Amino acid sequence: MDSSASTLEPLLAFLAYSSSKLESTFYKIPGSAVVARYVKSSHQNDPGRTILELILVIFAIRTLLQSRTRADRSGKNFIKFSEKEIDELVDEWTPEPLTQPLTEWDQRDLSSVPIISGPSGPKPKILATGKTVTNLASFNFAGLAGNEHIKERAVDTLRKYGLGSCGPPGFYGTIDVHLDLERDIAEFLGTEASILYSQGFSTISSVIPAFCKRGDIIVADRSVNFAIQKGIQISRSTVRWFDHNDLKSLEDALQSVDKERKKRKAPLTRRFIITEGIFERDGEMVDLPKLIELKFKYKYRLILDESISFGTVGRTGRGLTELYNVPASQIDMLVGSVANGLCSAGGFCAGSSIVVDHQRINAPSFVFSASMPALLATSASEAITHLRNTPSVLATLQENIRALRAVLEKTEGITLLGHRASPIVHFSLRSTSNTLVVPSSAPAFDAETEERVLQDIVDDALANGVLLTRAKHLKGQEMIESRPTIRIAVSAAFTKKEVEKAAAVVKASVGRVLSRRR
Amino acid sequence: MALSPSSPVPSIFKKKKSTSHLPSMATAASYLSAVHEADIRARNLDISPTSTPALSLSSSVTVSSEDTVLHENEDDSTGLAYPLTPPTSEQVFTTVHTEFGHCANESYRCTSQHNPDVPITEHEAEEPPYYILITTYISYLILICFGHVRDFFGKRIAPKYFTHLMPYNGYAPLNSDFDSFYTRRLKSRMDDCFSQPVTGVAGRTIVVYDRYSNDNNYTLHLTGTKTRSLNISSYNYLGFAQARGGCADAVEESIRRFGISTCGTRLEGGSNELHVAAEALVAKFLGMEDALVSSMGFATNSTFIPGLVGKGCLVISDEFNHASIRVGVRQSGAQVRMFKHNDMTNLESLLREVISQGQPKTHRPWKKILIIVEGLYSMEGTLVNLPRLVELKKKYKFFLFVDEAHSVGALGPHGRGVTDYFNIPPRSVDILMGTFTKSFGAAGGYIAGNKELIDALRLRGHSGTYAEAMPPPVLIQVIASMASIMGVAPSPTITKGGLTLSPSNSVSTLKASDCVEEQHPGLAPASILPSWLSLPPALYDGSEAQMRIRRLAFNSRYLHAGLDKLGFITYGHPFSPIVPLLIFNPGKMSMFARMMRARATPIVIVVVAYPATPLVTSRVRLCASAAHTKDDIDTILRACDEIGDILDLKHSQGERWPLEDIMRRSVELVNAV
Repeated sequence: MDSSASTLEPLLAFLAYSSSKLESTFYKIPGSAVVARYVKSSHQNDPGRTILELILVIFAIRTLLQSRTRADRSGKNFIKFSEKEIDELVDEWTPEPLTQPLTEWDQRDLSSVPIISGPSGPKPKILATGKTVTNLASFNFAGLAGNEHIKERAVDTLRKYGLGSCGPPGFYGTIDVHLDLERDIAEFLGTEASILYSQGFSTISSVIPAFCKRGDIIVADRSVNFAIQKGIQISRSTVRWFDHNDLKSLEDALQSVDKERKKRKAPLTRRFIITEGIFERDGEMVDLPKLIELKFKYKYRLILDESISFGTVGRTGRGLTELYNVPASQIDMLVGSVANGLCSAGGFCAGSSIVVDHQRINAPSFVFSASMPALLATSASEAITHLRNTPSVLATLQENIRALRAVLEKTEGITLLGHRASPIVHFSLRSTSNTLVVPSSAPAFDAETEERVLQDIVDDALANGVLLTRAKHLKGQEMIESRPTIRIAVSAAFTKKEVEKAAAVVKASVGRVLSRRR
Repeated sequence: MALSPSSPVPSIFKKKKSTSHLPSMATAASYLSAVHEADIRARNLDISPTSTPALSLSSSVTVSSEDTVLHENEDDSTGLAYPLTPPTSEQVFTTVHTEFGHCANESYRCTSQHNPDVPITEHEAEEPPYYILITTYISYLILICFGHVRDFFGKRIAPKYFTHLMPYNGYAPLNSDFDSFYTRRLKSRMDDCFSQPVTGVAGRTIVVYDRYSNDNNYTLHLTGTKTRSLNISSYNYLGFAQARGGCADAVEESIRRFGISTCGTRLEGGSNELHVAAEALVAKFLGMEDALVSSMGFATNSTFIPGLVGKGCLVISDEFNHASIRVGVRQSGAQVRMFKHNDMTNLESLLREVISQGQPKTHRPWKKILIIVEGLYSMEGTLVNLPRLVELKKKYKFFLFVDEAHSVGALGPHGRGVTDYFNIPPRSVDILMGTFTKSFGAAGGYIAGNKELIDALRLRGHSGTYAEAMPPPVLIQVIASMASIMGVAPSPTITKGGLTLSPSNSVSTLKASDCVEEQHPGLAPASILPSWLSLPPALYDGSEAQMRIRRLAFNSRYLHAGLDKLGFITYGHPFSPIVPLLIFNPGKMSMFARMMRARATPIVIVVVAYPATPLVTSRVRLCASAAHTKDDIDTILRACDEIGDILDLKHSQGERWPLEDIMRRSVELVNAV
């Protein structure tokens, strides 16, 4: 006993010495007094409290060290395998092939795509047959394709700027011609500013996530185009859908959102109405004044996709705002397509300078993508000048639309869809149900059979010198399966006679194909 | 087929009369202005400039584009307008010096190729001294504190600046003061370094609009003046951003023939013969079975990845992958896992984990696993470890998607990208994606793979159905630049058009009737190219592009090695044309950019900071180009050297050389790396 105490003695002395040494060095550290005071006050002669605090500290450290990506490794779903077992599992695993082989219908779909030889325009040449046809398929609404002024301007630009911009807008990719076009668009529409994207399709699917974040509310038309659907999906906001082009249904949706918010006493979030000016899917047109009234009444912001209506409706092609005589500044984000309306490439979003500047650093496809080639921007500027100076173009377009619809309305076996001023004219096969959009649960039509019939019509029309196209949709990826249609894009480049002749060909093709089936 | 080199060639070997009496730059300049006048005369007479006698006499100076200095009347002390050393009589240049620099010294060339004897080392990022890290954190802390103090008082003293950040009249703010804090309080301090408007060609030099701000960058105004600067920022790797030359001539011709747009989507009447030709050429260029083109580089990823994977599939993505890949994966609905940047060990352990565990919760096996990597990472300059990935692929049976946005054209002895650099058969990769924006001086992107896959993507990718097709001028820029990189095989038997479209599948199947040889990398069969396309002989036989590839390799390596030897911390692969120079402290970033811009020879650079990079590793990103001359790289090294001393940026532990030694022994340095 004694001997053990004597052996422990130097050890104890060393412990006492080192603890006092530790204490003195601890107090030398600046701020140590504060820590000591805190420990003392929390200890309060109660070891239980100290233990509790210690546990808290350990827990905090553990939480900090736990990596988020590794979380499911320790989760209850994680199964532990030995290396050998993993090797076996790896050997066993056979992945599916990267793609499913194309079906016979897919093959036909792909091979029926017409390829144009030479310039696109009202009368292109088909590569496969070498025949010149009347083009009712491509978007040349204002007849800008092949415009010599625009070509000259493009060549001049090429000789000054080269072709590619070789950089994103943030890093020396903002060329003065981009700024000019942005200003031209803003002035043309009458908004404070606008921003240019380098692809039409990517414009709205980038504008939406730039503003709508998780927790925000989006009220959108059930039948919006695919780009909007993708934008909404990426934004991760809460979505309410309203019935296609039914502003009554929209108002109901707005009211119910409002009610819900009041009931839950939820904080104020950003709220958006998203819809299209003229719907790409069926050519319907939204009642803009009523829409704006609702937007102001319920304090929503409006994102309006004018990809089809910009450059095609209104006296000079300013779109729905000109048609309804509504100031464009009342639409918070007015999105349009430079590719469709101005026959160049890209898209834009017009709005207040706050809205536009926000996108310059937050819209993914603006920030992370190279800016548009300079000559495409100047071509678009030139196209705007052309629209401003020759309003007769759009009068011709409207006349041609009327002429086309007049013939097709009298055609047996098809239903003509869309607004009478819409430059795209869809028609589907006639059946008992008149609504285009049918809930996917109970399809009242056999999509594939109808598609085949419509494709027969397209092929027949092509053989008779008119280029048509089915409106194509991605099967299984669209939110709703809409009824198959043929989409005609009317152009101002035709005379009324030519349109009537082409429409007669379509009418004859429809008749032939349908009679063959009976 | 007018592809034969029959177009009038300036007599390139004709000697200049007065070259031997060229005592100084003054006479050279006066000589140049005389040439310029001749050029104007020629243009007024509407004669193709390449064939004017005045120019064939002086082909070493060539035509000036609209925005070259000959119009600007600036004195040439900057070395931007004319070469520092006047050309000798033997040297013949067919480019405008401001667009594509004149460099005739054959020793300033190098081949970008992986040495199979040297194992691929994971690139170690060099750490700066601790005081740099600590001051960086303190700088951010100060900036954040100041920002919050300014916000606190600002809201009370000048609320009108904050109305758009606050709930107003029943509307939630578009962007709350919290969400936009970083942008408003940190980024806006250096807004003058971003989004500077430019004009003219983004070639070797670029003309930037000068700006000033009276209110701490709240608003930026143009002064109305412009400055020509040395451009080490654009992704112009092979120097194809040119307003003059064979490619631009071809583009002009295409505008006259085809117009600006094909007016529609690929599947709905917007397909043109040029699309078919470009796709066949891209497939041939890459050595893949088939390829498709899309009108925007970002959209190539964001709209075609959803066509590849979906629910029940797993995407394994490098942590530094580009935003477009992330958007695409998010839209696809597939699960995502990340692995540490370029870390193959980490990737393998992740693969073992995910394959053995299967899908979360259900433990069902994954339908398929797709690994997405980039060939060359745009912020790091690192190269993917492709040989290892291909090995792993054999064992773990995943599919491999390589995004070659930056590497295609820029790497490899034949400019075919990373597969070429590592000498790996391209078809051992399932999907090769890339863009035309960078090396080809065009716009848009491509995806290449086997025929079945590409056909499926044509139908199932979003772009084919919904996005506008690529415009003809862009297609021709792609075709012309790509054909010149490949070199064109003169075809002995030319049938009409040479394009036979198999009736079964007219979008994709383009059979070059006389092209049976399948070796890769091969020449471009003339039958694929549009019959009216005529390229100058140097482009036609591929010699000029070969020179571009070798110049780029030299410039990248020299820039990288030079900065290393000066003592800077750089990241990335020695052959990468992207050279990130680490700055760390946020305050030094804007200073660096401003000082570079304010030099006698102004240089424009790109600074990148959080959130594009990790918080501490703010950097300058330099992009070498084939258009730069050795003198240009010297200029940049000198500027970095001087500014680096002032800003205390040289923290590398490695061996240091004085600047003069680096410049003198550049060739030795490049070959030694």
